[in-house]
Amino acid sequence: MKRLSRPGEGEVLLLTANRLLDGRIVWLGEGERWRESIAEAKRFSYEEAGPALERALAAAAQKEVVAIYEVVAHDTQPPEPVTAREVIRAHGPSVHPDFSYDDALARTPAQEKERAQ
Amino acid sequence: MKLFNLSGRKTLEEASPVAFADWKDAPHGTAISLPQDVEVEDLRSHLNELTLIVLEFPIFRDGRAFTQARSLREYEGYKGEIRASGHLLPDQAIHLKRCGFDSVALPEEANTQDWDEQLSRYQFYYQNTAVSPV
Amino acid sequence: MTQSNSHSVGHYQYEERDRAFLQERINEFEGQVRRRLAGELSEEEFKPFRLMNGVYLQLHAYMLRVAIPYGVLDSRQLHKLADVAAKYDRNYGHFTTRQNIQFNWIALQDMPAILRELAEVDMHAIQTSGNCIRNVTSDEFAGAAKDELMDPRIYAEIVRQWSTLHPEFTFLPRKFKIAISGSPEDRVAARFHDIGLLARPSEHGPLFRLFVGGGLGRTPVVGQELFDSVREEDLIATLEAVLRVYNAFGRRDNLYKARIKILVQTIGLEAFRKAVEEELSRMDCAAYRLTPEHVAQIRARFAVPDLQAPADAASLFEQHKQADPAFARWVASNTHPHHHDSYICAVISLKTPGAIPGDVTAEQMHGLADLSARYAFGEVRVTHLQNLVFGHVRKDQLYDVWQGLQKLDLAAPNVGLISDIVSCPGLDYCNLANARSLPLAQKLGARFGDAALQAEIGALSIHMSGCINACGHHHVGNIGLLGVDKRGAETYQILLGGDGGENAAIGGILGPSFAEDEAVEAVARIVEFYLAQRQKGESFAAMLKRCGLKAFKEVAYETV
Repeated sequence: MKRLSRPGEGEVLLLTANRLLDGRIVWLGEGERWRESIAEAKRFSYEEAGPALERALAAAAQKEVVAIYEVVAHDTQPPEPVTAREVIRAHGPSVHPDFSYDDALARTPAQEKERAQ
Repeated sequence: MKLFNLSGRKTLEEASPVAFADWKDAPHGTAISLPQDVEVEDLRSHLNELTLIVLEFPIFRDGRAFTQARSLREYEGYKGEIRASGHLLPDQAIHLKRCGFDSVALPEEANTQDWDEQLSRYQFYYQNTAVSPV
Repeated sequence: MTQSNSHSVGHYQYEERDRAFLQERINEFEGQVRRRLAGELSEEEFKPFRLMNGVYLQLHAYMLRVAIPYGVLDSRQLHKLADVAAKYDRNYGHFTTRQNIQFNWIALQDMPAILRELAEVDMHAIQTSGNCIRNVTSDEFAGAAKDELMDPRIYAEIVRQWSTLHPEFTFLPRKFKIAISGSPEDRVAARFHDIGLLARPSEHGPLFRLFVGGGLGRTPVVGQELFDSVREEDLIATLEAVLRVYNAFGRRDNLYKARIKILVQTIGLEAFRKAVEEELSRMDCAAYRLTPEHVAQIRARFAVPDLQAPADAASLFEQHKQADPAFARWVASNTHPHHHDSYICAVISLKTPGAIPGDVTAEQMHGLADLSARYAFGEVRVTHLQNLVFGHVRKDQLYDVWQGLQKLDLAAPNVGLISDIVSCPGLDYCNLANARSLPLAQKLGARFGDAALQAEIGALSIHMSGCINACGHHHVGNIGLLGVDKRGAETYQILLGGDGGENAAIGGILGPSFAEDEAVEAVARIVEFYLAQRQKGESFAAMLKRCGLKAFKEVAYETV
């Protein structure tokens, strides 16, 4: 198994993946359930993240999500990823503020599409 | 092991192939198993003694054995059985058949329905191959 | 050949068996999706199959890449792409440097339904990804350009059909890209493909110059000439021979060394040629012979446009230009000479300054399809520089076309100019990217958006990639930009001196990378330096050669 990224001072690890059915970015939340918003992501220390990732990978064999890995984030409210890539995954493409995930929690896919038009 | 017949020719289930590594220093027997990095030209002087050549797929997406099989048929004129063995998926049935494979060795529990379905899927193909003209 | 009808000019017209083939292919993929969802296929096993049907898992969602063989679409196909964008995506699509279109927000479970909708208009996503022979690209002015020697599209279609579900070459070491041109001016970047073909006529029939082992990506290499004159009847046999050598000997232990260019570099061109000739000498050539009958059969499925024009078409065109300087400016940059005196090729810029390069909304697609049906024989081509082309426009009708494009906000007069920026989707969408490319392309486009300024600068290309996989072809821009990750932050390298055409050249890296806004300023200083120091009529490439990279480097890093 690959080595995990090590969070620095004031940082935590989150677990992320894409949902198998629609590809949507998800974050592992409380109760080991995959959530659509980074605000609902559970925070892990370096020591906790390894076993949690193992459990998630085993569960993923049951088809719900793909491409699971860990993300280093600042331990803020909500947690904010450290790298540019993960900021874009957490908040949406920077060239389309209209596709932002930040207030997307309450919207259905049909509403998403409506907004895009 | 369960043999699935791709070409419709009689297959030689009972033959037990010798690994190429053991065979190359002292060629013997009528059946051998070939890894993907062997050039089939190396078998040339013994081809008419062989009745089964197994081509190995360590992983399904390594496609070298397709070229090995086609070379055996087209360049070497090999008429015996060619069998695929290893990590193979039913989605590759047509590729195997059209490159000159006769059979594929599957695990006992394999579902051959997907293989059958795939073999009869397309009514025509866009390209000639030396072993299966359009 | 048949006369034109609005659905068949410019590309192969499907027969019933082609349509049946597509349906079977979709059934096959539907079964693969079902097996994946049922857990019968692991993600590792499913991945090559979804890729070979154009389905990627990108940063935010699945992406579907639809094939546009040799870049030619008809109006009903463009209407359908617009419908797919509206119904299954977020109302837009992105045209790529390989003449395809990508949808960025597709759900896996919708894929079979989308593929069925595309098949209604004879479109598919077969082999737009994966380690197989990819969609064949060609010249955007094929069959129309004044300088063309022969129309390459018939051969592009022959190669497309030959490569479709090829039993031996579907699990190659890595992807394999073929481009084909029939013009002395290389508009397909033939020397930057795994195989590049330049077709020309001769008294013994068509001949093909074949380049092998070119490519960009992590290790940019200019392709080398393998054969000077491949005869038509040997075309397929020769491709088979090259692919066999590659399939048998290409590296499979290292993803970054698996392209054919590395094989050719490692064993050398002579040894590679010898291996190919050895294959050809042993091959059952009758099985692979491209017969004149087969070529004629394919040719018969292409309709030619019935080019008729009133006698005053050209003089009306001159009057329109005189009366409207904005139109004249657009004509100066956005057209290309047609072999028929009363016709012209129109290039539709998808680089409106400040917009996202290559993105087109569903409404724009519908509008373009309508315009093409009315004025361009219902045909639209996609260029490898992410623009669109109407191949055959009557000169006296070009003014109407231009006005129609203005209404669609697609009349930017910048083709070949500095704001005609080629860019990959970058980190905003792509799973592989290290940095965003679209915001930088937007900023540069806006910075140089003024039409008069662009006209003054003249021909100058900017190419932008978000990582070293080089989908934005940054190595072949006069100015190339490459996104680089520096400890999780995005920075940009600048390259100068690339050229994708006849004088193929790979740009040289200027120096350490810049932050995004610094990169915009550095490019601006480079351009100002060029404006101030160039001699009369001197191109950017020529001045770079005269002054050297070092002089440009000093300017670029002046205030950093």
